[in-house]
This record gives sequence, C-alpha cells and structure tokens, in this order.
Amino acid sequence: MDTVINDFVQVLRRHQVRVSPAESLDALHALEQTGLGERGVVRDTLRTTLVKNTDDIETFDRLFDLYFSLRPTAEKRTAKLDVHDHDHDEGQPTSMEFGEDAEGEAPDSEEHSHEDSENTEFRRHFDEDKMRPSDDIHGEADKMRLSMFSQELILNRKPGALDQALQRITHQLKLRRARGMFSPGDLVTHGDGGQELPLDVSAADFQGLVDHLHDLEVDESLIRQLEEQSEEILRGLPQLIEQMVERQKQLEKKKDDSALMRRSLRKIFDYSPAEQRETEAAIRRIARQIHGAKTRRLKQDRTGHISVPHTLRRNVRYGGIPFNPVLRRHHEKRPRVVMLCDVSMSTRNMSRFWLHMVYQMQSLFSKVRTFVFVADVAEVTQFFEDSSMDRAVDQVFSGRVLDADVNSDFGKAAEQFRNEYLPSLNHRTTLVILGDGRNNGKPPKAEALEEIAHHVKQTIWITPEPKWGWTLGSCDMTLYEPLCDRVEVVRSVDQLASVAEELVKARV
Amino acid sequence: MFESIEEVREKLAEQEYVCDRRLATVVYLAVKLDKPVLIEGPAGVGKTELAKSLAAATDRSLIRLQCYEGLDEAKALYEWEYGKQLLYTQVLREKIGEVLGPTEGLREAAAKLREQEDVFFSENFLVERPILQAITSETPPVLLLDEIDRADEEFEAFLLEFLSDYQVSIPEIGTVEAEHPPVVILTSNRTRELSEALKRRCLHLQIDYPNPEVELEIVRLKAPGVGDALAKELVETIQDIRTLDLRKSPSIGETLDWARSLVVLGAPSIDKDLIEETLSVIVKYDRDAEKVLAHVGAGPERKDIGQKEPTGENPHEAMYEMHRSTHKHTH
Repeated sequence: MDTVINDFVQVLRRHQVRVSPAESLDALHALEQTGLGERGVVRDTLRTTLVKNTDDIETFDRLFDLYFSLRPTAEKRTAKLDVHDHDHDEGQPTSMEFGEDAEGEAPDSEEHSHEDSENTEFRRHFDEDKMRPSDDIHGEADKMRLSMFSQELILNRKPGALDQALQRITHQLKLRRARGMFSPGDLVTHGDGGQELPLDVSAADFQGLVDHLHDLEVDESLIRQLEEQSEEILRGLPQLIEQMVERQKQLEKKKDDSALMRRSLRKIFDYSPAEQRETEAAIRRIARQIHGAKTRRLKQDRTGHISVPHTLRRNVRYGGIPFNPVLRRHHEKRPRVVMLCDVSMSTRNMSRFWLHMVYQMQSLFSKVRTFVFVADVAEVTQFFEDSSMDRAVDQVFSGRVLDADVNSDFGKAAEQFRNEYLPSLNHRTTLVILGDGRNNGKPPKAEALEEIAHHVKQTIWITPEPKWGWTLGSCDMTLYEPLCDRVEVVRSVDQLASVAEELVKARV
Repeated sequence: MFESIEEVREKLAEQEYVCDRRLATVVYLAVKLDKPVLIEGPAGVGKTELAKSLAAATDRSLIRLQCYEGLDEAKALYEWEYGKQLLYTQVLREKIGEVLGPTEGLREAAAKLREQEDVFFSENFLVERPILQAITSETPPVLLLDEIDRADEEFEAFLLEFLSDYQVSIPEIGTVEAEHPPVVILTSNRTRELSEALKRRCLHLQIDYPNPEVELEIVRLKAPGVGDALAKELVETIQDIRTLDLRKSPSIGETLDWARSLVVLGAPSIDKDLIEETLSVIVKYDRDAEKVLAHVGAGPERKDIGQKEPTGENPHEAMYEMHRSTHKHTH
C-alpha cells in the first residue's frame, strides 16, 4: 500500500499539487484508521490529508478517478477527449503509432515517445467486471476494491507469463514497425501464427511498465489469493496494457503548452542587458528608500495605553511604585498594499517594468498582494513569492493565469475584482493600480472602482500616459481620476522613485 | 471516543448537526490521529457550529478563541499577572528577611534568594489564555480557533509548535505539554491564504453550501415550525438564488433565518411578493437584492430595497452603511 500511495503522491506532485513527505505519512496513518473498505472513505481520507489548497481539490478528484479508476466506459470518454485536445495543442504525437496510418512517421515519433517515457510510470487499471470473480474467491470483496494494483501484483509474481506475453507483443510490434519503416505490407503477412494485438504503444513505454512492475514489493498472502485468477487477467492483458498506456497519457504532467508563446514574447519585450542593469539598479534604489521609510515608523512609544509589564520593569528602581509609566501604541508596522497591474498589450512594455517593481515591493512588505488584469483579474502573489523574479514575470505573461492577448477592459476587471477580492481590502490598504485606463470602448464601470475605493485607505493610480493624452482615443482616465486619491504619471524610474517614497511616507 | 465514521455521524446528528460522510470521515480521523482540522468555506455554512456540536457530542468543554487582527500570545496563550506579582512582592517584603535568615555576606544571601525565585515565575502568576487552557485541562477539550485568517501571519507561525506537538514553550517555566491532546478545530473564511506550514499540520476540509437534500434536512431539524411543502419550496428557492452571481450568496444561516421568519409571518407558500418583502433576511447587499428581484421576476418597479438609504428593517444593511461612511471619515 505504501508503494501505491507514494506513487499516487508522485502523480499529484507532477500536477503541481504540493504534497510534503509528512503529509503522505499522514495519509498512510489515516488509511490505517479508516481501512480501505470504501472507495468514498479512501477518497475523503486522501483528500483531507494530502490536499490543503481548495484550488487543488479539483485536480485531486480528477486524478483520483483516473488513478483508482472504477468506471471504465462513461468517464473515460470525456477524459479521452481532454487528452486529445491537449495533444492537439502540443502539436506533437506523444506516443508511437504503429497502426497503418502512422507508417511514414514511425522513426521520428519514436524519439518523442522515448522522451515522454522518461518520467513515465505505468498506471494500473482496474476493470470492475474483470475483478468481480476475485471478490467471490477470497471473500474480501472490500479489500479488493482498491485493487487496481492487484493485477500488477500478478504480473509481478508471474514473471514467466509476463515475459511471454510481452515477448509476443513486442514481436508483434517489431513486425509492425518493420512494415512501417519499409514499404507497407511487403515484409509481413498477416495471420502467420501471431495474433493481432490491438496495441498502440511504444517499446519504450513497455520497458517502463516492466521496470515498474518489478520495482513493486507486495504482500505475500495477497499474492497467493490473486494468483488463482491470474490466468484470466493475463488473457485480458493486451487490452489492459493499452488502457494503462491511455491512462498514463492522461496522468502525465500537463505539458507547458505556452512555451512557444512565451519565447516569442520574450523576444519582443526583452530588455537589453544594459537596460536591465539600469532598471534593476533603479529598483534597488527605490527599495532602499522604502526600506529606510519602514524603519522610521517603528520608532516611538510616546502615546497609547499604559503597558503594565514595561511600566513595572522600568519602575523597579523606584521600589515598584509606578510613577514613570510606559505607554505603548499599536503600531501600523508596514503598509498594506494591493497592486492591480495591467498586463495588456498596450502597456506591456511598461508592465514588465511594473512587475519587477511589484516583485520588489512584495519582498519588502509582508502584506502586498498582487493582481494582474487584462479583461479578467488573477492573483499572482504566489508566483512572486515562490519563484525568482524572471520566472514569475514569465509566468504572468505565459497566458496560463489569464488570457493576456485580449483587449484590456478595466471596467470588467474592476467589477470582477470587486466581486471576488473585496474582502482582501480594508481601511488600511493602499490600492495601487498600474494601467493606462484604456477600455477600448467598453463600459468604464466607474461605480465598481468607486466601491473598491470606498474600502481602502487610499487609491493610487499610476499611468504611463501624461494628462493631455487622456482625452485621446478610448481612454477613461478622466472618469477614474476623481475616484482616486492620487494619479501619478510615471514613465521613468526616477518618477517612480518619488512616488514610491511618498507611498511609504503616507500618513497612517 | 468514536469507533467508526458512522458513529461520528450519528452522534453529530444527535446534536442536530447534519453532515455528510466526508465531514464525518475528517472528524473521525482528527480524533483518531490527534490532528487539528482546518475548515475552510464561505461564511455561514456551519464551520463554527461543527466545533460546538462536536464538543457537545463528545461531552467535552469547548474553548473558543476568536481570532482578530493584532491577536498576540498574551491574548491567546498566557500572560504573566504582573499586578499579582507586584502585590506579592510588597506583601512578602518582610518575609524576605526571615527566609534569608542570618547569612554571611551578600553572596550567600543571593544564593538563598535564588532558591526561592521560581516562586514568582510559577504557574500561580500565569493567566491562562485559551490555548494554554486547552493544554493544561485535565479532560481534553475541543479547542476552536475561529477565523484564523483574521489573525496576523505571525500568529500563525506562533501556532505551529502547538499544532504539531500540542505543547507550548514558556521561557520562564519551560515546555508545557498536553497530556491529553485536545481536539483542535481551526476555521477560515479564506479572506487570505493561510501559510503552507500551517496547512501542512492540519487535516483540511472544505465545506461548501449544502446540496438540497442536506439543506432540507437541516431546515427540518432547526426550524421545525416549517411545513414540509414550504420547507421544500424554500430550499429550492435558496438553491436557485445561489446560482446567481451574488456578492454574498445566502448561507445556511440565512436559510434558517428565512425559514423562521416565514413561520413568524405564517406564510403558507412562497411567492414573489413574499420574497420581495422578506428579501432583506437572505440578501445583505443592495446590488444582490436587485439581482434576486430581477431573477424571481418581481421586476425593478419596486426598487426601494435597492436604495442607498438603510431601510431600517435590516440591521445589517444599516450597519454596513454606517461602516462605510465612518471609514471614509477616519482617513
């Protein structure tokens, strides 16, 4: 069981669900308590111990269904569709096709399949109908419910049978491949004793499966029970393997389909090294200023409530008679900043620079949350916290957090922000909006911004366009300006530095 | 204390807490593994109620710590009772001569004094706050850390030791360990994301708005005056309203409020007019009210509920308005 759970955890990790070793241990302990009796309980147990982010629950559910699959037909259809979509995006075949229609490409695609199989482990498959006899055999029907690995166990225990089966299949594959590489149909005649196996898998995938099976360590008694019905399972082997491969494809980590797009973006908007150095130096300058401002506000203790412990401590020298009271005030230590950054086309050159700034802000202030918007809003705080600056910025532009290529629509973004993130604002928050206020003719929704502005201490709008430009084109800055406490025009690092300083100095 | 997941469910049901199997599984595991549970979900889906019911179901006392911004150890864990310490020093001043007795030189006196000094940093002078209470309590209580997301991040960090080992370190005394680990329940409304470290130590449970069957059962249990047909209609309407894109969807709490107010009004069934009149019970924002009205087909001709002015019949609405205006004022 350990192996299975660990393996499942690996799959979760590959899908960006963060699971710590301690958590997988918890899961094992928890399963000891609940037993494997019911599928629902196992699922709930694993979910509560392994998945701690609400956003990951969906991923977990999907993977759980796939991994511990009980319903072969209905769900598989939809899942399959998914995969095909995905493959299409990638534009590359993920596994080798040995069928008639893949003849010409065989050598080429084999390379890919090798690449894929590097992080490939075979998922097992459990077919309810097939397993039903096993329920009867050892009367431990419930235990077997989780038994997608039971088949694996048998394969593991009967190496002879397995090898035999595999040989048959690989032989078949060789024949088919041979046919594929040379002129079709010439070298191989059908029906020469070998049975036609409906297989579309690569040799590398097979090797992976075999390795994986040999790696598993299993419980003796379980094996004995299972062996009795191994023959039946072996008979279904070809289908089984095919389904395994299918499953494997679905469980594989999602390929970064945005890599191409990112590369092209980078080409367009990358700064030269000199520019980069300049910007970074400037940001460091800002950072230093922010830093200086921060310590200043921690200083004094002149007003506020009497602090008994401090008063006592100070008045020990007067025999405990408190005639020199110590007052303490609850300090607003650091500013809370919520940043709303436009990353649309029109401001993209600026927003790269802004995001660098935001990154610095976030590392300096504990309470900075960052959102990016084009037409939708998405929170990116976590990216900036988890990864390096460049990677975080890349992630924002990768198109995965939001569609960065539509026309910017601040009205919609503001409304969405109001609906979803209003609780993250309070009367101590400073809201900084970085954008040009160009709505491309869409409704400005000033009332949404107004409501947001009601909830925060101050709203600062930083726009790259000078005031005279606001009346040109579809710019709604004139509408938004009265709602903000300040509107700053920032095109250069120098201007930004002065704004940043004032931001920090702002009265609490 | 629980032998099976079913038992958890039954016991909670006795306390009029309806829960699904998922929730029961988590509670069962929490008790069996001595792990804290972190419950996340929108306001009013019964997060706090779970802790209360669990305490009642297991005959344990409930210790509740409402978290808020600026909550610190002195409020959550312990505090030295300086006043008492001071009083004791004053009263015992004469006694000191006696204790020290005839000593030779200051060194010996200081040594003697040192033997006695732990008197002043003993548990006698410690004011126990909820967390320490939960640890030192003879019978393990249920500790509810309510709305942990409102506390500062630093406070989360401070909780880590307690959550993983059920112990706290007090510099002057040492480590206090719980003999019987309490059942700890943390709730969060997700106004901010909690730290990974905290989440890692807890079992995680996401509670959402219930499905119609469960909600109907809750209404029947908690608002017994509502007839079956009306209850059904009511739950359907609420579920329908939840599908709208509202700023604050009505929660179970609101469903029950509504059910009770319908009982008071003696309404036989739900129609448009009734919804319009009692809308303030289920929807707390004026924009949401407009949306709901438009949805149920009452149309915008009566928009008095959607006005800026507090109508007075809804205290929440009035408070909200006040809140808003004072805010702008203070800065």
